[in-house]
Amino acid sequence: MTRISFGRAVLHGTVSTALMVSLMSGSALGAPVDLSKWSPEYVRSIAGTQDFDTAGDCAKVTPLDYKGRLTFWYQGVFEGDPDLLRQYYKEFFENFRKTYPNIQLEEQALTYNDLLDKFRTALLGNAAPMAVRLQILGGTEFASKGYLQPLKPEDVGYSTEDFWPGAMKAVTWEGTTYGIPTNNETMAFIWNADIFKRAGLDPDKAPATWDDVVKYSKQIHDKLGVAGYGLVARKNAGNTPYRFMPQLWAYGGGVFDEASANPTYKEVQLNSPQSKTALQASYDMYVRDKSVPVSALTNQQADNQPLFLAGQLGMMISHPSDYNVMLDLQKKATATDKDKAQTVIDNMRYGLIPTGPDGKRAVVFGGSNIHILKPEYVEGGKVDEPAAKAIICMWTSPEWSLKMAYAGSNPGNLNGFKTKWMKERLDSIKFLDVTTSMLPYGIPFPALPQSPEIMNIIVPDMLQNALTGAMTVDQAADDAAKKVKELMDGGL
Amino acid sequence: MTILTGKAEAHRRLQSDKSGMLRKIWSHRADYAYVLPAIVVMLIVIAYPVYYTIELSFFNTPPGLQLRDKIFTGLDNYTAILKSPVFWKVTSNTLIWTLASTLIAFVLGFACALALHRDFAGRGILRAILIIPWVISAVAASYIWKWIYHSDFGIIGAVLVGLGLADRPPNFIDSVSTVLPSLIVVNIWREFPFAMIMMMAGLQTVPDQLLRAAKVDGANAWQRFCHVTFPHLRNVSTVTILLLAVANFNSFIIPWIMTGGGPSNASHIWITHIYELAFGRQRWGVASAYSVLLFMIVMSLGYFYVRALSGNERKDGSV
Repeated sequence: MTRISFGRAVLHGTVSTALMVSLMSGSALGAPVDLSKWSPEYVRSIAGTQDFDTAGDCAKVTPLDYKGRLTFWYQGVFEGDPDLLRQYYKEFFENFRKTYPNIQLEEQALTYNDLLDKFRTALLGNAAPMAVRLQILGGTEFASKGYLQPLKPEDVGYSTEDFWPGAMKAVTWEGTTYGIPTNNETMAFIWNADIFKRAGLDPDKAPATWDDVVKYSKQIHDKLGVAGYGLVARKNAGNTPYRFMPQLWAYGGGVFDEASANPTYKEVQLNSPQSKTALQASYDMYVRDKSVPVSALTNQQADNQPLFLAGQLGMMISHPSDYNVMLDLQKKATATDKDKAQTVIDNMRYGLIPTGPDGKRAVVFGGSNIHILKPEYVEGGKVDEPAAKAIICMWTSPEWSLKMAYAGSNPGNLNGFKTKWMKERLDSIKFLDVTTSMLPYGIPFPALPQSPEIMNIIVPDMLQNALTGAMTVDQAADDAAKKVKELMDGGL
Repeated sequence: MTILTGKAEAHRRLQSDKSGMLRKIWSHRADYAYVLPAIVVMLIVIAYPVYYTIELSFFNTPPGLQLRDKIFTGLDNYTAILKSPVFWKVTSNTLIWTLASTLIAFVLGFACALALHRDFAGRGILRAILIIPWVISAVAASYIWKWIYHSDFGIIGAVLVGLGLADRPPNFIDSVSTVLPSLIVVNIWREFPFAMIMMMAGLQTVPDQLLRAAKVDGANAWQRFCHVTFPHLRNVSTVTILLLAVANFNSFIIPWIMTGGGPSNASHIWITHIYELAFGRQRWGVASAYSVLLFMIVMSLGYFYVRALSGNERKDGSV
């Protein structure tokens, strides 16, 4: 009889397991993306280093011959997106139907601003879709209300480590994960070098601080008569917080302490001196200097794009995709407008978003998540989970999370950065380096059910109250802080 | 004894009335059967939502809770609304919006109807052109007007600057003082053709022989209008004004698409505010309380509308 020592057995088992795991991660999954090394050079070094078999990976989650039915809503492409993205969305659904020919997919695309309203209404009538892809703000709201099923990357064959920690925070409520990030993005600062030159500014240098933005905006307006900075302050439009919050955080302000490493969201800081300074900067540009578009109060970013292309706007915050949007818009221009637009495109420059007075740089960590609903809120009272997981596996795969974010965002699945399409993207999409460089500065919106109201209504209201003169800067900030506090206290 | 006899008599009359009513219903049973499906549909799509809205108006619905977990708060929503400065701002906007839109659209429509009532070359074409604002989609019209008004590259601004009449484009919809009048102009543009059509139809009913007789009696155009035409149009005018008022109280598309109620709530009217409260802020309870108040106002307008219609019918001798 052979005696096996317990110590040796444990050691043997540990070594075998470690070997197996290392082999698995080496062959099937590869080394995880190292976020501590994140830089444009690192992104270039990993791009195109790994191939993925999407259908093969998803077959392990839901067999390819699975027969079922799926209702699915998602935030689709809209007028501000480039045609390239439209093409990839079309290809995704064609590909899904080819990969899973027996799943009857009923998908519905909605715009960013309509999706939340329609989804909320559908939930009230228990008529929601089985799966939904929501903007990053939505995850916590619906998870906290109990509408969503727990869902984590492991449920569709991936690992939580394959996703940005900030993105995972946005789908986590009270320690449980309720969704998977599809794409994540940070915006960058865009300027027109020709306008800078004509206004006597260095054409190749972005304003270093937000105070510089105010100064540059005035200089551009005073010298050339065109708008300096593309301020956006419309209510109920996602564009507004995406452009104002980086400014607020850079000055050291915030709605709560969301810009800190471990936010608690306990104390309202919207009326702190730092937050008021940030609001004052917007006031100075809109009211004092009149150096930004007058239409900022009713405009969205989609309105700034044609202004920029027409050479009527010097600077703005936007996606990497704006370069492609400009190319699309230029194609639609006629006669001399075409040449003018080409001049603007040639002079388009991307840089990091400016810092605050203390060197703090921040940007909204945006993106979208995909979720599965609980059956009781779905039309018919049934959720086809394997079918839902099939589409989620496919959308969040390295391949499709990259392709579906090709021009406008970045893959939610970090392994997307390793694909050959990422390499192709780095070569074809101008200024992608800048926006990927901004990712580590990304701050997620507070992971609270009240966030949509704070970001889409209270913050824009604060801006509008100050910019229209309905309130002073101090009053507007105090009023907004009071509203947030009342909201958090469960007021009517 | 007399009292008892009186009571018995009253009871007997009531019984007789009841049986008379039942007899009437029974004799019209086929008519009731015909309208029954419509009544059932109305109960489902109108009565139940009205009941549910009233019920919901007594609950708090914080954004962190599902609607089914709503908290009963009695009349708190109503008191919160009445105490809120936004309510008074929105109410004043709604009154200005409704009164100005209704009256100006009516006067303009009436003037056009009078002008088009006379026979002249190209009348048909002009009539068709004037109806266009009413038949095109309100959504499309709102986007077009947003572009016309645009504070940076709007058509009006470009023309004024181009002609040297202004240094910079006027600010129509990005200013708290001009936004509401600017939206009212759009609304009047959309609605005056409706008033025009109604009044044109009314004008057809004015007896020609009366107008001719008044002319023979030496009445001038203004006197003929005041003493013959207008009295005949009184009922159709009342109905038109009431319909316009109800539509304007319930307006949504133009202010929502053009400004979203902004800037700084300056163009929020009741319906846009209710929509924002319900769908943007998920305050279903407060939004329901607002809706109940609005419902009461619109129902009172509806009462006058029905009275005006009944008045018409009685004068016609049809009832």
